[in-house]
This record gives sequence, structure tokens and C-alpha cells, in this order.
Amino acid sequence: MKISFPQDFPDRLSPMLVKELRQGLRTRSFIGVFLTLQIVLGIILLGAGSAATSDQAGSTISNIIFIFFSIAVIIIQPMRGMTALSSEIKGNTIDMMVLTRLSAWRIVAGKWSALVSQSALILVTIIPYLILRYFFGGMNLIGEVVMLILIFISSATLTAITVGLSASPSVILRSILPMVGIPLGAYAALMMILFSGMGGGGSVFDFFSLESTESKIAISLYITACLYYGFFLLSIGTSLIAPHAENYSTLRRVVACFVTIAAAAIGIIYCDDVDVMLVVYYLIFAPIFTISLTEFGTLVPPVVQKFNRYGILGRFLGIFLLPTWATGVFFCYLLTCIAGISLFLVRDSYINNDSIVVGMGLLSGMVFPALLVNLFKMYGPSRVSNYILFSVASGIIALTLMGIAESLSSKGLLWLFVWIPPVSMTMTDGGGINDDALLVATAFFNMLYFAIFICMAARNYRRSIRELNHSGS
Amino acid sequence: MSDSAIRVHNLYRFFGPLQAVNGISFEIPHGSVCGFVGANGAGKTTTMRILASLDYPTMGHAEICGINVIHHPAEVRRLIGWMPDHFGNYDNMTVLEYLDFYARALGYKGKERRQRIEEVMDFTDLVPLADRFSNKLSKGMTQRLCLGRSLLHDPQVLIMDEPAAGLDPKARVELKHLIRVLAKEGKTIFISSHILSELGEMCDTLLFLNNGRIVHHGDSESLKRSSDSLGGVLYDVQLDGDPQALSDWAILQPNVELLESRKTGGRIRIDTEDPGKAADVLSRMVKDNLRVIDFHREQRNLEDAFIDMLSNIENGNQAVPTPPPFHPPIPRPAEEPEALI
Repeated sequence: MKISFPQDFPDRLSPMLVKELRQGLRTRSFIGVFLTLQIVLGIILLGAGSAATSDQAGSTISNIIFIFFSIAVIIIQPMRGMTALSSEIKGNTIDMMVLTRLSAWRIVAGKWSALVSQSALILVTIIPYLILRYFFGGMNLIGEVVMLILIFISSATLTAITVGLSASPSVILRSILPMVGIPLGAYAALMMILFSGMGGGGSVFDFFSLESTESKIAISLYITACLYYGFFLLSIGTSLIAPHAENYSTLRRVVACFVTIAAAAIGIIYCDDVDVMLVVYYLIFAPIFTISLTEFGTLVPPVVQKFNRYGILGRFLGIFLLPTWATGVFFCYLLTCIAGISLFLVRDSYINNDSIVVGMGLLSGMVFPALLVNLFKMYGPSRVSNYILFSVASGIIALTLMGIAESLSSKGLLWLFVWIPPVSMTMTDGGGINDDALLVATAFFNMLYFAIFICMAARNYRRSIRELNHSGS
Repeated sequence: MSDSAIRVHNLYRFFGPLQAVNGISFEIPHGSVCGFVGANGAGKTTTMRILASLDYPTMGHAEICGINVIHHPAEVRRLIGWMPDHFGNYDNMTVLEYLDFYARALGYKGKERRQRIEEVMDFTDLVPLADRFSNKLSKGMTQRLCLGRSLLHDPQVLIMDEPAAGLDPKARVELKHLIRVLAKEGKTIFISSHILSELGEMCDTLLFLNNGRIVHHGDSESLKRSSDSLGGVLYDVQLDGDPQALSDWAILQPNVELLESRKTGGRIRIDTEDPGKAADVLSRMVKDNLRVIDFHREQRNLEDAFIDMLSNIENGNQAVPTPPPFHPPIPRPAEEPEALI
């Protein structure tokens, strides 16, 4: 019997992309979204055609096209990524894939790019509707094109988040969080755009027409953040499925280090507000701290040998860049030092006590959950989800305590819980607290966590190296 | 090229306090078929995963065709074909697309890829199933597909973890035939299974693992001989009447042990090879009013030999090769997920 081989995809495409596209284009969810979008947009344009005399017809059609397109690519498409890696893990097919020439990164990137390609297909099919809409008049061409691109970038980022998290063993992290978070986030973003008065009360599209410096900066920063978070989430997914010999941690840390240095340089030159820089640093640090402080890698010869090849310099860099939580601790405090120095070099800066407390609170807020994860010896791939659980729990405790303190009209109660990092931040809000005492208490607990964590990390790092030497490497 | 296709030396793998693999050493020559036998949790899958470069040992060495699995996992992956004990198939993907994906992932392009897929599909008889969705196949067909996938890059060593588990008799015979053909082609096959009789027919050597330690390495005959040397001959006894009478009787007899109760009797072991003693046992049965209608000597099979060996180890009658002393520097933490959420 003659075998008729499929000729649908050329050899130069990634095997993973080919596999995912073959599967994905046949799924009911994609076909359903695709056809529904075409039918809905077709009906709307036909209906609008009959009411073409109305002045508002053009902008109404634009709004409807964008809303339906957003639902398709910002909500439905990313949600399809929720099972991307978990289904492979459950089916035990990851092992079979890593034994080919596919690296874990190519597996994850292939999953992501297939979903993004399908979103791109949806994007391409709505272009004819936008061209037809042009004839209704009143179109802000640049604004609408930029918004279309931004929606697509947002979709790609959200897909990266769901694909990356889909490797997590935690159901809450990989399924419930995206299912609740994505629609809520999309709704919040929509409301923010509609009601923030951007563009001086004009159309939403006016803001995206890149006429003001403010919008250019905002859009540039948004795209940068999307790239950074997209890369990190895909990288987290990669680490969760990668064999021990594949090290993705080092690249991740190097990227975070470069981004921190770039942010510090830009901040020192252009920024004069310490609080803005604190927020920027928090956004940069949140993903890298989360993954580096919870990393559960076993040091294996193929990874360590690459560092040892560079002699003393390699071994020194290994202290910060090898894929374990212990080196993650050293690395995160190194980043903190870079950020701390830059804050003192900001032009015309005036750093008040509250800023210092908030800065230290943000730092210990990221360190404290990791300390608990390691103190309780939580091993295995669930460390990230446990870290997030502790972070969320400490935030909830802080908010609850603040509510109780306010109802009692006394903040004295909060002093009992000042060791929980977010609590100290809530104490900066309003009066009734001795600022100097709060500063001292926050600094004390920061130093305490630092000392405990550094000692634990040093001990663990020495053990790992000793174990590696013992195993005959 | 190394003399051995697989060489393992003092291999340990700990998961926290659990010693999954406890200092095992063995060698498998090129072109041989080795069966890997042991109870669930004996350490078979862990050993096989280490050999397939999917896991790391706590200590020790493992080599495939002379290449260190720990230091050069990528090179080792080119030499091995891996069939896991269980795996899922992909939705919305035909058998041909499945093999096409793995052939692409292994770096085959164009005509060469099509040629490899054709060869593998011919060998595993998957051609008639080319356009069937891979998740709609029977268990036997799925195993053939998995075997085909693992042969795509023409590996020298095939590691198969319980390939016959869950297969019907027909599919099992087909799989056994394919393994025999592969062995004739000179591939080294390392195969684990619970079906000892089939392993005995297929394998040149058998490797028995118990609690992470090797308790026997040799061919099936040597296992039977070593078990025979422990004493005892098996007899099949058929009764007319209540089979419980046989077990009640056997408990009271000095040199007789009931191994298995059956619907019409059971299997007993008499702890001597002397036929005269067997005749004595039979006459005692008759004298004690057991209505014996059949009494014949049974050939010892591999299962019996294995169970004998394990029970002798448990009773301290047979020594287990002691692994070299190991003082773990730090037991690695368990890698099972400990999710709070």
C-alpha cells in the first residue's frame, strides 16, 4: 500500500510548530472561534451597511470589530494554552519529546508560536472587515492599526503566560488563575481605557495614534513589559519540563540583570521620582525573584562543567547563575544592590522614610514567601505555586489587619504583625504611626530575613557542590 | 566501540529516604536481549530512566555504548530508543502525522524522512493505519506505533519499559515477534516485563531486581537451576472431592509445602528430588483418605524460580550480592510535588 505523505508544512518550520498547527487547526475551539467571528462580523457589516447614513456608524463598527476580536484573541486563544504542557506531562509524552533533538525551549516555544499563529490567522481574517469599515468614514487609521497590533501583542503575552503556567502541577496556578484572571484583567484594561480620559476625552483610538509623547512612551513601555513577561513565563514553563542537563536559569538571570541595569541607567538619567522607579523595579523583579528563589534544580555535571571551563571567573559567576535556589538568593540580592544604588543616584531625588519602608517592604515581600518555602523544605515542582500562595496569603493578612486596625481606630495592633512584609507597607498609609520606629522595625526584619536566607543559601550551595564532587564529576 | 552496549556500575538513586536503586552493577553485551524483572517498586523504571538520560543517579556510572549517560546525555539519546510504560497519544493527529512529527524532531528532512517513516511503518505493519487518528488506536496498535517511533532514528539500543502490559494475547505475540526480529538485526534490547515466561523465551539473559538490588543475572535456565539447587520438586495433584483437604493435609506434612490451591487440587513442593520420597508422599495421601486422581511432576517455570528465590532471600537462605558501601553526602530531597495549592 502506498503511503501519501502530508505536504502541508515545509521542512524549515519547527517540528513542534508543525505538530501543534496540525492539531490546533482541527480543534473545535479554534474552528468555533474562527467561524463565529466571521459570521458575527459579516452580520454586523451587513446591518451597518443599511444604516450607513449615520455619522456614528463607522466608529460603532470599529468598536464592535475590536470587541469581538479582543474576546477571540485575548480571552479564548490564551485559554487554549492552559492545557498546552499539562496534557503532554499527563500523557507522558514530554519524555519522548526530550529524547529527540527538541530542547525544552523549542517544545514550549513551538506550543506558544502555534497558538499565536492561529491568533494571527484570526487577525488576518478581520482585516477585510476593517477595510470595508474604512468606507464608512471617520476612521483613525494609525490609531486603529496600533490598537490592533497591541491587542495582538497582548494576546501573545497572555498566551505565553498560560502556556508557561500550564507546566505547573498546581491546578490553581495553571487553570483557575488564568480562567479568572484573564477575563478580569481584560475587563479592567477595557474599563481603564474607556474611562481614564486618555486622549483628552477623545476616542480610545486617539490615544493609540502615537501623536503625543506620553502615548509613545506608554505604548513602548507596554510592549517592553509584554516582551519581558512573555519571555519569563515561557522560560518558567521551559524549566518545569526541561531535563536536568538543560539549563535555562542562567539565560533568564542574565536577561533580568541586563534589564535591571538598563532600567537603572534610564532611571538615573531621565527619572526624578524614586517611587516610580520602585514600581518599575518591582515589576522587573517580581518574575525573576519568584522563579530564582524557588528554583529546584539539581546541579549536574553537564551544567556545572560549562561554568568550570572558565576557571575562577566561571566558578565565581556560578555562585550567581547556577540553576538552584541558593544561587538565586545571591543573584536576587545582587539585583537589589544594583537597584538600591541607582535609587540614591536619581536626579534631584528626595527619599523619604515612607519610600524606604515601601521599598524594603516590596523587597521582603518577595523574599519572605521564598524563605518560608525553603524553611518548610517544600521540594519539587510545586515550589513556585507555594511561593505564590504565601505571597497572596501575606497580602490578604495585611489587608485584613489593616481593616481591623481601621475599624478599631488604632494601628497599635499592626505592630504585632510588622514582621509580615506587606503589613509594614500598609502602616505607611495615614498617620498614627511613628515613622522612625517603623523604619527601624522594617529594616530590622529585612536584615533578619537577609541573614537567615543568605546562611541557608550558602549552606545549601556548599552541599550541592560537595554532592556533585562526591558523585564523581 | 565499547564491548558492552549497556554498562552500569555501582548505580544508586535515592528519593529522600527511599533507596530506589541501591548500588547495582551489570553489563549487557551488544546484540543481546536482556529481560529486566522485578516487583513493582523494585527500581526497574528508575534504572531504565537513568539509562535513557531522563533521570540522574545519586551516585554511580551508567554507559550506553561506552558513552557516559550522565556527562553526555545528548549523545546517548542518539543511540537509544525509549518505550515508556505508559503514554498518551495526541488528539487530532493521524498515525502518519505522529511519525512525521517525531521524524522531524529527530532531524530528518525531505526524502530521507519519508524513507525512514516508510521503513518503520512497514516493519511495524502500520501502513493500513496511516490515516487513522492516533488516539483512536487499540492498545496493541498504540504499542506498535510507539515501537515505530522509538525505531525512527535506528537506535543501537532499545529500552522498553513494560511494553506488553495491557496487551491482549494476539498483540503480545505480534510484539514478541517484532522484538525477535529486532534482536536478529543485532539491536541490543533491554526490556522489562512482569510476564516472565515470555521474557524467558525472548531474552538471552535475565536481570532480577529486588528492593533496588540485583538478585540474579543470567539466563533463564541458570535461574531455574539455581532455584532447583535450593531443593524441592513440584507436583501437580488432582483430587476427587474438596480441594481444601489437600491444604489441610499439607500443613501437617514435614517435607511438603502447598504452593498453590486450585479448583480441583493444587501444586505442592516436595523438598527432595528422590522419586522414592515422592512415592512415599503419594502413599501417605492415599492412606490419609485423600482421593487422588492425578499426581505428576511439574516442570518448574520462571515464575516459580523467581518466587523461590525471593522467598529464600527473605528467609535469609540465599545471599544477595552486597553493594559497595555508600555513605550519601546528603540525601537528595524527594522530588514528588508537595503542592499546597
